[in-house]
Amino acid sequence: MSGNSVPDEVQAVLDKAIRLEYWNIFWTITIVVAMGMVLGQSETMKTAWAEDTLGLVPPIMFLISAHLERKGRRSDRFPFGFERVNGLGFFVAAVALATVGALLLYNAVMALGAAEHASVGSIVLFGHDIWLGWLMIAAQLYSLIPPMIIGRKELPLAEKLNDKLLHTDALMNKANWLTGAAGLFGVLGLGLGWWWADSVAAGIISIDVLNDGIKALRSATAELVDGAPRALSSADLSEDAQQLAKRIQDEFPDASIRLRETGRLIRAEVHGTHAPRQARHPRHYWPGSEERAWRLAQVSFIPPTREPEEKQGG
Amino acid sequence: MWPLGETGGTARFAYRYCGVMKLLLAVLSCLLATGCEALPRDPEGTLNRIESSRTFKVGAIGPAQAAAPLIAALEQRTGARAAIRPMTAEPALQALDDGRIDLVIGPFLRDSPWSTDVAFGPPLAVAGSRDHPIEYKAAVRNGENRWLMTVERASRAASAQARAQ
Repeated sequence: MSGNSVPDEVQAVLDKAIRLEYWNIFWTITIVVAMGMVLGQSETMKTAWAEDTLGLVPPIMFLISAHLERKGRRSDRFPFGFERVNGLGFFVAAVALATVGALLLYNAVMALGAAEHASVGSIVLFGHDIWLGWLMIAAQLYSLIPPMIIGRKELPLAEKLNDKLLHTDALMNKANWLTGAAGLFGVLGLGLGWWWADSVAAGIISIDVLNDGIKALRSATAELVDGAPRALSSADLSEDAQQLAKRIQDEFPDASIRLRETGRLIRAEVHGTHAPRQARHPRHYWPGSEERAWRLAQVSFIPPTREPEEKQGG
Repeated sequence: MWPLGETGGTARFAYRYCGVMKLLLAVLSCLLATGCEALPRDPEGTLNRIESSRTFKVGAIGPAQAAAPLIAALEQRTGARAAIRPMTAEPALQALDDGRIDLVIGPFLRDSPWSTDVAFGPPLAVAGSRDHPIEYKAAVRNGENRWLMTVERASRAASAQARAQ
């Protein structure tokens, strides 16, 4: 491992992910501007615009944490480097998603309850009076395309890096067509005179944002309170960590195995047994492919408080 | 520059994003089928009612003659006659919000607090100071987007100020 917190094996992948996230921010800004220019009074458009703006949070948090992970050196003040900054970024992004999602849902429900009828007028474009709804639809269609492509590019990188922040963003981007479809339904419904379609579509989009936020929050909180390693985009336990626990347990059947995750790395504590006589690198215990062995950064042995007679671990 | 993937090709691109393509095609065919002029429609059917009853109710705030060019343009477009009633601002806007009248024409602040409750058309004329402009404009009931568009078109036809917006 290098002087920073990033394992050597994933440095190149991290560089690739950083470049992709700059592109992600660029395209997201073009969407935010395009949508912002045709917002009007539509609740659907405001919610979709807020969702698109929120889409900037994960890549920005990823870039900040990647910068700290790469540039931040271990020091007296930060002896473990900055490997957990990614987890903190994930938590911040999750809080932002959940909070804004809840606010948007509240707005949509209030608009529906108050039977608000959104007014969408016309503008003059190239000498023609055009209903602003058509431009809203065009902006919605445009907003579907970049996230779809970027999400697909992010996914394999997130898996290689075991990066929850990137993985959540990738899945959100890939699923963006669902909110896009809801947004199109909202604006078309508004055009067809279904006043309720606007608030209902806004509600659907905000539920999606809230759901993403809650899922991410559960996973991010688990990491921050030293929970067992979680899967990349759900609150389930991660499969490789479970295999690792089994691998260590098989060798030390009387020990209690405790795993936690610091950023993309796993740290294991083996309680109630002595360390093997021969010193081993933590990677020795990794049960999966060697390519992924960097995931296991530490294996510590904590001997039993009272020595059992004539019994030694390992 | 665009991160299209390792292979790039059009066919692979189309295959990968066929879900989106299907959605785009569905929307495009829907648009072609309905035609650009089919939308928007009024939830409460204001314009249809005006065209079939051949009359629309106008609340005029201030001198009625200032509203004449817009009223004439609307009468021409809808084939309906305007029943104009002089009113004061608050009762007129409330009547509009309740659906008791179809149009209000009068002087309003550029950032009128009513702008969330009714929909304003483009200003027909602007008076007042630079910091506090007062716009003479029409207002329609919120959400009646077909009728709003008709009023906006008529405003642009009746006033150079509205066309410049």
